[in-house]
Amino acid sequence: MSSQKQIQHLARQLFRLSLADGRLSDERVAGVLEYVEKTKPAHATAVLKAFHRLVAAEVARGQAVVEHAGPVSAETLQSIASSLTKRYGRPIAAASRPNPALLAGLRVRVGDDIYESSVSGQLSQLAAAV
Amino acid sequence: MSTVLEQIEQQIAKLQNKAVKKNTGTIRSVADGVARLDGLSDVMYNEMIEFPGGTIGIALNLEEDEVGCVVLGDISKLKEGDECKTTGRLLSVPVGKALLGRTVDALGNPVDGKGPVDAKEFYPVEKIAPGIIVRKSVTQPVFTGIMAIDSMIPIGRGQRELIIGDRGTGKTTIAIDTIINQAKINRVGLASGDPKFRPMYSIYVAIGQKNSNIVRTMAALEAAGALEFTIIVAAAASENPANQYLAPYSGAAMGEWFMENGMDALIVYDDLSKHAVAYRQISLILKRPSGREAYPGDVFYLHSRLLERAARLDGKGSLTALPIIETLAGDLSAYIPTNVISITDGQIFLETDLFNQGTRPAVSVGLSVSRVGSAAQIKATKQVGGKLKGELAQFRELAAFAQFGADLDARTKAQLDRGTRIVELFKQPAFNPIPIEQQVVTLWAMQKGYYDAIDLKKVNAAAVKLREFFATRKDALLTKIRNKAALDAELEAEIKTAVDEWKATYAG
Repeated sequence: MSSQKQIQHLARQLFRLSLADGRLSDERVAGVLEYVEKTKPAHATAVLKAFHRLVAAEVARGQAVVEHAGPVSAETLQSIASSLTKRYGRPIAAASRPNPALLAGLRVRVGDDIYESSVSGQLSQLAAAV
Repeated sequence: MSTVLEQIEQQIAKLQNKAVKKNTGTIRSVADGVARLDGLSDVMYNEMIEFPGGTIGIALNLEEDEVGCVVLGDISKLKEGDECKTTGRLLSVPVGKALLGRTVDALGNPVDGKGPVDAKEFYPVEKIAPGIIVRKSVTQPVFTGIMAIDSMIPIGRGQRELIIGDRGTGKTTIAIDTIINQAKINRVGLASGDPKFRPMYSIYVAIGQKNSNIVRTMAALEAAGALEFTIIVAAAASENPANQYLAPYSGAAMGEWFMENGMDALIVYDDLSKHAVAYRQISLILKRPSGREAYPGDVFYLHSRLLERAARLDGKGSLTALPIIETLAGDLSAYIPTNVISITDGQIFLETDLFNQGTRPAVSVGLSVSRVGSAAQIKATKQVGGKLKGELAQFRELAAFAQFGADLDARTKAQLDRGTRIVELFKQPAFNPIPIEQQVVTLWAMQKGYYDAIDLKKVNAAAVKLREFFATRKDALLTKIRNKAALDAELEAEIKTAVDEWKATYAG
């Protein structure tokens, strides 16, 4: 196995150990980090970087980043979170992030998926179509 | 009524405000025309990926936590961290008659400077080949205009006939001749107003060739008036391997449109050796396991799925494929040649020695074969050329024996003489296809021994003169042969009278 594959393999193993009941657990992540510090595996930095990428992707899967141009009420955020939780079948928390570049409307990001309902998004779609 | 209108307006408003879902990813690395991407959890195999600036890529490796994607076009503007998104579409190219007379790239974009292509339809580049039930056996001929091929290695509509040989043996010339001949037949057929006439459109796919060669091919087709019936798909050597890999599939999609719409098409893949090399490059960069000669394990499937798309469909049209393979030092047993030989329905093998001896086209009769084409050969050609292959094979054997300077009996000498005359007769200049009725007349005169008294070196010139005589003075007879497609006693008598007339005037 090449070193790159070994790194990926170990990072995936560590990631699996970080899950409790299919969800990321803070305690387990801390435990994994402690283990890496103690054992110092070959290419430790690369392993940790790969591990970080996997954890970041998992965190993003459970979080809906709601970008908005105007004010967004707590109820709206709550309704977005509950509808996405229903859609994906896993708990998703909503976090608001103001973004005036959107001009108006919302853009919600959950993991790799983006739900675009903003004026800037529609304008760029229009520009691509013309 | 107003409430109904309000309801509709509300529905429209709802639709317009509907959020658009995109599945995105980020570029982790870009190298050698291949991008490795994070994210894109919904991506499908072979799906088009859109990069910033409108650059398109195709997802070829779907791994646990990354996607390997070949980038079509300019990769110099892409950088690590750039966002890309899935499109939900498979790669498609424009198809239809609007492409005739045009030169396009692997994505169907025009590259000939003649303005945009006004195509109404798009076909996916990758498509599963037609199944068993919808197919029909090959019974209609494709005339290449090359006497050696039409008489001994006939090709039928829907057949896959490989053209194989070393570099510089005239492989492309045979393909171009065939395209030119289709244009000539189309012109005559369309002018005749025959409702049963089915024109044959051609697609020439240039893979990994020099741009100068592509220009030369375009010029040859244009000079012969064949470009208006031809689509050229160009993926030159300067283009990235992804485009070279895709070009034959794009050409096949364009050909399939003709086939699906009840028309006939001919597609030339020039050449599949370079196609395999481009695919090998992509596969190695994608870190796929390599096998024999470093080709990936699916290199057979690469060509089989492409060539299986050539077919004759029941109640529809046909797609005939002429793939070209370049061998090294005449080695037919190399990896890619054996693969493609086993996929196709026969091969035309061109020999360097014959080419250098001046036998052009340098078709090796012994190694060339057409597995299904004889069913498509017209009766007239069978009548005049049915025994030629055997005679030539015997001649080659005797010629090898005669090299030792042994004393030969009169019968052997006669056989050798006849063989040499047949070889002379089959010599044909490039880009000069001979109509099938002219071939019949030429071979009929051969069969009846009209060239026997002519000096060996002048046999070919005599045949040219005979064809000129028929073209200028016996056009009605040629039309009769073309329409009847078989020689009966009456027609043979007419041919005999005409050939006798020529013989009387021929000065030698």
